[in-house]
Amino acid sequence: MEPAPAQNRRFSRRSLLAAGGAAAVGVAAAPLLHEAIGGRASVFIARNQRYDGNLVKTIRDGLLATGIVPAALRGKRVLLKPNLVEPSRQIPHMTTHPAVIVAAAEVFREWGALVQVGEAPGHVRDTEMALDESGVAEALHDGGLTFADLNYEQVGWRRNRGKRSKLAGFFFPRSVLAADYVVSMPKLKTHHWVGVTCSMKNFYGVLPGIKYGWPKNVLHHNGIPQTVVDINASLPRTLAIVDAIDCMEGDGPILGSCKPMGLILVGNCLPAVDATAARVMGLEPSRIEYLAMASPALGPLAEARIEQRGETWQSVASPFQILNEPHLQQLRATPDGPLVT
Amino acid sequence: MSWQAEILTELAARSPGGYEAAGPLASEPTALAALALAGAGRFAAAARCADWLQELQHRDGSLGVMAGQPAPQWPTSLAILAWHQLDRAADASDYSKPIACATKWALDSRGTTTERKQQIGHDTALVGWSWAADTHSWLEPTAFFVLALKAVGQGEHPRTREAMRLLFDRLLPNGGCNYGNTIVLGQPLLPHIQPTGIAMWALGGEEVQDHRIGLSLDYLEQQLSERTATASLCYGLLGLSANCRRPREAESWLEAAYRREQQRGPSCYKLALIALAATPRVARITNDELLTTGR
Repeated sequence: MEPAPAQNRRFSRRSLLAAGGAAAVGVAAAPLLHEAIGGRASVFIARNQRYDGNLVKTIRDGLLATGIVPAALRGKRVLLKPNLVEPSRQIPHMTTHPAVIVAAAEVFREWGALVQVGEAPGHVRDTEMALDESGVAEALHDGGLTFADLNYEQVGWRRNRGKRSKLAGFFFPRSVLAADYVVSMPKLKTHHWVGVTCSMKNFYGVLPGIKYGWPKNVLHHNGIPQTVVDINASLPRTLAIVDAIDCMEGDGPILGSCKPMGLILVGNCLPAVDATAARVMGLEPSRIEYLAMASPALGPLAEARIEQRGETWQSVASPFQILNEPHLQQLRATPDGPLVT
Repeated sequence: MSWQAEILTELAARSPGGYEAAGPLASEPTALAALALAGAGRFAAAARCADWLQELQHRDGSLGVMAGQPAPQWPTSLAILAWHQLDRAADASDYSKPIACATKWALDSRGTTTERKQQIGHDTALVGWSWAADTHSWLEPTAFFVLALKAVGQGEHPRTREAMRLLFDRLLPNGGCNYGNTIVLGQPLLPHIQPTGIAMWALGGEEVQDHRIGLSLDYLEQQLSERTATASLCYGLLGLSANCRRPREAESWLEAAYRREQQRGPSCYKLALIALAATPRVARITNDELLTTGR
């Protein structure tokens, strides 16, 4: 575990919002920007969150606290990308809750953005079924939001800017290419192959199944950690809003148990958001292969380089159960973390 | 005009077509449209689709997913099925050359294999068809190629037989299937309606003693209802119909799905699926064809 930095002291919400506004840097995950600002990032954590609570305020506060300038969003196309990998009414803690999606949409709309929700479910070809089972269809209807089925849209090719895998480029759906900002809205979960799935891994779901398959086996064959980094490096500007209210532990990302955490995480640097999420889960970010590969080019992992806004990760940390498998055990921040068979 | 006639007229007007009402023309929706229209005797509209597919065919016999996207080529199976259905229904052999060329490509194309791993439940050494080149075999593309190859008289080809073994291997212990994983790290995964329907369609008429077939059909019967999402409903009904277990409510469920799609702005894809599932004769023709050529 890295030593706790001075930045992890608690601040009041008011002072953090002021600091966020004063230090506003717009929104970016571009490698150059991270280098220019010395590889620092800020991540916001809100606790005691509920799906029937004031999520609009929480998300607005989080975006402001991590340096988002509302005026910069006016007239911009914002694509919200939830995780609807394999929705099931019996396992609501598998997928992003509709209330979080609708709340995020409201915030961006307030700021004058043109908001769309899009997803390319990775395990199901029937997207209508995915929307029904997740409850997102009803929420989109009620919220007057349009949905882009990223699995079947017209595609365009973009060069692989990450270059961790041998893939020369990616086919992205039209809605992704047209977006000014792509917002990763994952559910915080353990993942039985890579340890954690959060904002970076969630972007597997921007690639179209019609080109990459169900599952997106082209990516698996080119290395999951490598392609997670490459996709993130090749997208337009990105943000993260994490549904960590009811999370998944154990045999994630599909069949794990519900772990209520009551958290929302927000940030404009996805490796930093995911590193913070991993710490909350009791995992060591530098041992998560795709995070280690992403940093420093896409953002920092080290605590000393991540400014905590809102709550500190230490104050909300609660180790997640992970499967008793060697490749997962080694990810634990402490060797006595909980295991599940 | 009955709703069945109405949907065929609307489908004919929107074909060739795509996955979305305003989306790009795509091979899968167009092949399904050809299949449905040919089965319903709308030969001119079906031929328009079949010709469009032929224009898309590459010299090696394969077809890409949409115009301007030559890869991946998994819809080649559906094009074979569509061309064959049109020739058969019209008692012609207009598409024999593209069928032969595509069939050769299909038999040369194979999903990758790996050594069996303890962490993975399915037999990773079995060869079927993949979604994209140089990747593993998965359930839906394998089932579509099985349907196509059986239809064109290649039901006894070793590739087809191995692919059918793969489909059985990918059935979940308690019936049903998903995209093609069964057990991961000791945990059985969840079944989904659409792939279960497609697998049951492809395996219809096979004489096998495997209790998971009955369980899979039970699963479909339990899951399908008027509220089931359109693609899942249609593939589920095709799977049940191919195994002589078409529910009595099928027509009313399909009409409800059609009305929903009309409100959304129907795509060629959804209309084709509804029309295909709404014409038991089409499923039976395909199945009869499988019965006569598949053993």
